[in-house]
Amino acid sequence: MINAFLLFFVIHTTQIGVGIHGFQRVIYQEAKHDAWISVLLIGIATHIIAIFMIKTLEIYGSNDLYGIHQDIFGKWFGNFLNFIYIVYCSTAFFSVLRNYIEVVQTWVFPNLETWFISATLLLLVIYAFTGGFRVIVGISFFSFVLAIWLLPMLVFPLQFTTARSLLPVMENDIMDILKGAQSMTFTIVGFEILNVIYPFIKDKNNVKRHVHYGLLATTIIYLSVILVSIAYFSPDQLNKSIWATLSLFSIVRFPFIERFEYIAVCFWMLIILPNLCLYLWAAYRGSIRLVKVNSTQFVWIFSIVVFMLSLSVETRTEINAVNNYFSKVGFYLIFVYPILLYLLAVMKKKYTTRKERKG
Amino acid sequence: MFKKRFNRSSKREKPSIDANENKKSESNQKENVFPSSSKDYLQTIKDHTNNPSDLVVKTISPNITVTYMNSLVDDRTLKEQLIPELIRHKFETPESLKSSLFIPEVDVDDQINHSVLSMYNGTVLIHLDGFSQVVLAKITTTVSRALAAPENESQVIGAQVGFNESLSSNESLIRRYIKNPELCNERFNVGKQTNTTVAFFYIKGIASEQMVNTLRQRISDLKIDSLLDSAVLAEYIDDNSLSPFPQMLLTERPDRFCDGLLNGKLGVIVDGSSMAILCPHAFIEFFQSREDQNLRWPIASFLRLLRFSAVFLSIYLTPLYVAALTFHYEIIPQSLLVPLSESRALVPFPPIIEALLLELIIELLREAGARLPTKVGQTIGIVGGIVIGTAAVQAGITSNILIIIVALSALASFTTPSYMMGNVIRVVRFPLILLAGFWGFYGIMLGFCFILIHLIRQSSLGSPYTAPFYPPRFMDWRDSIIRLPLPFTYKRQKSVRPQNEEKYQPEPINPEKS
Amino acid sequence: MKFIKVMFIFIFLLITIAGCAEQKLLEQVGLTTLLGYDLGENEKLSTTAVIRQVNPEFQSNVEIVSAENETARGSRAEINRKTSKKIMSGQMRVVLFGEELAEDGIAHHIDTLSKNSDTSGSIIVAVVEGETKSLLEYQFQEIDDIGTHIYKLLEQNIKNEQMISSSLHEVAHDYYSLGRDIAIPIIKRDKEHVEISGVALFDKGKMVGKLSTEESFYVKLSRDLYDSAMFEITIPKEALPESQTKNSPEKIPVVIDTINTKKQVKLINPQTPEFDMHITVNGRMLEIGANMDLDNPKNVKKLEEEIGKSIAKNLERVLVYCQDVNSDAFGLGEYYRSSVRHSNLTHEKWHELYSTAKVNIKVDFTILRSGIFE
Repeated sequence: MINAFLLFFVIHTTQIGVGIHGFQRVIYQEAKHDAWISVLLIGIATHIIAIFMIKTLEIYGSNDLYGIHQDIFGKWFGNFLNFIYIVYCSTAFFSVLRNYIEVVQTWVFPNLETWFISATLLLLVIYAFTGGFRVIVGISFFSFVLAIWLLPMLVFPLQFTTARSLLPVMENDIMDILKGAQSMTFTIVGFEILNVIYPFIKDKNNVKRHVHYGLLATTIIYLSVILVSIAYFSPDQLNKSIWATLSLFSIVRFPFIERFEYIAVCFWMLIILPNLCLYLWAAYRGSIRLVKVNSTQFVWIFSIVVFMLSLSVETRTEINAVNNYFSKVGFYLIFVYPILLYLLAVMKKKYTTRKERKG
Repeated sequence: MFKKRFNRSSKREKPSIDANENKKSESNQKENVFPSSSKDYLQTIKDHTNNPSDLVVKTISPNITVTYMNSLVDDRTLKEQLIPELIRHKFETPESLKSSLFIPEVDVDDQINHSVLSMYNGTVLIHLDGFSQVVLAKITTTVSRALAAPENESQVIGAQVGFNESLSSNESLIRRYIKNPELCNERFNVGKQTNTTVAFFYIKGIASEQMVNTLRQRISDLKIDSLLDSAVLAEYIDDNSLSPFPQMLLTERPDRFCDGLLNGKLGVIVDGSSMAILCPHAFIEFFQSREDQNLRWPIASFLRLLRFSAVFLSIYLTPLYVAALTFHYEIIPQSLLVPLSESRALVPFPPIIEALLLELIIELLREAGARLPTKVGQTIGIVGGIVIGTAAVQAGITSNILIIIVALSALASFTTPSYMMGNVIRVVRFPLILLAGFWGFYGIMLGFCFILIHLIRQSSLGSPYTAPFYPPRFMDWRDSIIRLPLPFTYKRQKSVRPQNEEKYQPEPINPEKS
Repeated sequence: MKFIKVMFIFIFLLITIAGCAEQKLLEQVGLTTLLGYDLGENEKLSTTAVIRQVNPEFQSNVEIVSAENETARGSRAEINRKTSKKIMSGQMRVVLFGEELAEDGIAHHIDTLSKNSDTSGSIIVAVVEGETKSLLEYQFQEIDDIGTHIYKLLEQNIKNEQMISSSLHEVAHDYYSLGRDIAIPIIKRDKEHVEISGVALFDKGKMVGKLSTEESFYVKLSRDLYDSAMFEITIPKEALPESQTKNSPEKIPVVIDTINTKKQVKLINPQTPEFDMHITVNGRMLEIGANMDLDNPKNVKKLEEEIGKSIAKNLERVLVYCQDVNSDAFGLGEYYRSSVRHSNLTHEKWHELYSTAKVNIKVDFTILRSGIFE
């Protein structure tokens, strides 16, 4: 059991991961210099979805999404949905891992083998996961506290920005801006971990507040990064930068250190660690409802599978395909489905209470 | 994890052992009692003690026999008090003898085992012919050195007295600091062979009862052969004895020990060891010193920050050097690049070998200094440091920049107030150097994350090791890497789970007292 | 549990033995500090690299190697074959382009340089009058390391705002942006020195014009803003009251140290297009070639007005030249793009408009201080 207060860190750190390395480009392609509006919109959307999620969970008191599925849809169909959700979590895990490996290979170690990075990261995750829930939340806490100093580094590129690049506001079609917001899915998802973590929270009446704080922090960070990026890069430059955030870091210079992006890329390990641990944990919570498996068996089997998969996806195009596919499915699963689920849960509740009254 | 297994097995076995012992003791009750005649009594004693050369048997008057261990009893008390007393009076029963003796610890017992054992604690056995009971008069000599300043934890401002090897003098030190009937002191005998006395301290009403029970259980569950030092005991009762990080503090400062007790911690002192155990102890508290309380708060905060950054410096400086020179020459600014590459030009080894070599030399110097007598040790340090350092650079085995870095990180590691933790910090550096030498910053980050996860996983007597940072307790941050003025730190650390959280009722702060 | 721990250690050992990253030991690499590109024969690219090497014998020395090949990477491989150490570009500080190459187009090079994760965004880019090769290979008597020297020269001038900042990032920014063209410093050899001789103006990737160092001040004034640059202008004698200009030359030189500048550009007519450019300069007067009584506020006012006029005039002259060569170094296009909705601006479209653009320049100058002696 954890304090609701820690939800802030959990929500925030699962949202921020590898996506922030290069999300500017994807949105920019759709929304041009109004990309920051897209970020703002999707940020607001996360708040709305979080409200629905919390309402759904509140109906059930202390049950997680997997339990809710089983209750609403019955054993069979519910478990099918659970399975989809587990696959979703596993894909998220895999996607984060594979993208990070690629960043390390492109920026720092072009010749370091994929299997090596994959294996070492998985070992770290296994070590953290076997420590239990307390350790996982601890990692996300320390990840936030120890990595927040990276944000002020944005001051360095700020010297080279021209705020004029943001004008004129709202020049692009609202549909393009919305499309841009949708393409942000891959970067901003992660708060759905709330669905699984909810039963583990001690003071449930504080949940709302801290979830929203977490989401707000994420939105602010993404917003500041995109604003700086748009003002710092010229349009075509941004279109061509795969990892614009890292390019931003490359301008950071200290008297004792240059080429800051090398450090940033390696340091990012700490930022993706909570991502990996929490998605793994979410997948585990679902799996124990489907099959009888203990945590150690699960984490080893899971890791071996992911390890194999990470070797099979090699090129940039393949990785992009995985990201796009994940992003598309993620959008419906995270931004549409919770509203549906809420309506169903309310209906189910009304139905059962009426039945009880009759009975 | 080792601990867990250890506990589990002991729990499983415990009931059966108890049952056996009970049965045994019932059936042997007759055999265990002293014979009443003097002659048989003597024989029994000799049988049970294997008749050692320091066993003294004296017949004072025809019916009184005195036995004791020559090396353990206080000669003066024996000759000037006890013997004259025994000669002067005639005693009818052991009970009357007991009541007339003017010695603090006197008891009557008829159990052979227990009585013989107590002889080894400096008790004189007085046997009256015709009784199966003996009188146990404890007149122990205390073999102890005089109280001296603590050697490993020196501090500039504050008390200059340390624990010594005698339990009773240590106890008296603590009692003098805390004059409070709530200070509890429990005794255990640990070690099948050594029968070492272990004293367990806590303050009732402050220390968490659950923790007291856990620690009591852990100590009394110990089924070990011998116990010679408190450090060994600490490892046995640790939460995770496989971790290199100590989870209990070993201190030789009575003021620090008492400060811990007053904050709701539990203390253990082992007879014959000058180090006392204090637990639960969070990771960060290993870098705090008692002296911080004696200094003004901004200075204390500065020193704590200094010490804490020294830890990071000490662990990561050499690995960063290795990583930067092996893989990431890009990050070195040009003004630094020239001196770096020039100093490296003559060195025939890759940076990782160079760094390991130099770190090893420093460790050798430190170890040699620790093993040798103090005066020689200092000389070795200076000679070794200067001669080897200069010669190594001149011979072109290492670069002089690395010498600075290694010396700096060694220096930084010595700022840690706890010697045990300082050692860990020095040792942890080696795997990190290897990681840095193999995979540069990526390797360092792997090591960093691993250590972080490891620390989060640890606990000290069930309370989280990373407290007060995780789980976050902001109130406790006031006295963590910084120290706020005393009126702000009127609460006890929450991670200790004290029964009484407030040290005192805080008064409104009034900076200018009239 | 035990099995898993053994597995853990086993896997860890396996990894330790097997996977080791490629090392780039500092003393085993030759560090390219400067790279010069020239147009070679038969459309080939001639590359000259200044390589810093660390040798036990000489401590550190600089080697200048050149090669010709079709591509930059190819030349690099060729240079590698000519040196004893592996060439790395992670410490590169300056990229120079020969004048001919610059006129031919540097677009491809900017693209390649930005693509490479080895090269940092803070590399300084400059054009060399003549060939880079002859500049780099010249044996300067007082310069040991030509690479570092050129870097320090450019960096120092950019830092003191004497020259337009031309880091690779900014150059790439301008290259990829619609409404602003590249302007980078030109250097040349002057006997035994290397000096900054002017500013190269670009149209997209091609160098189209040159400005002198004095004129570069106005380009920078309209592109960026100043905090501390020193500049010299002249004002005609007639403009000032006669009583104040005894014994002074026809044109009175004034040296000014800017303290801060403000710039406002407004598009007032998108058709022509017509811009209003209003620049406010606050400065410190360092030197004046006339014996003026600056206690009199009237005189000061007059002087300020004249300085402002003079700046505006020069600015206009530079602008007209830029329009002539069709290089939007002033970044007017950016103002156009950001002011006109749905302009769907393209490079061609903007340059068509740019050649006919009209700019009304107004400069307000204020003397904040004039030293300790009046």
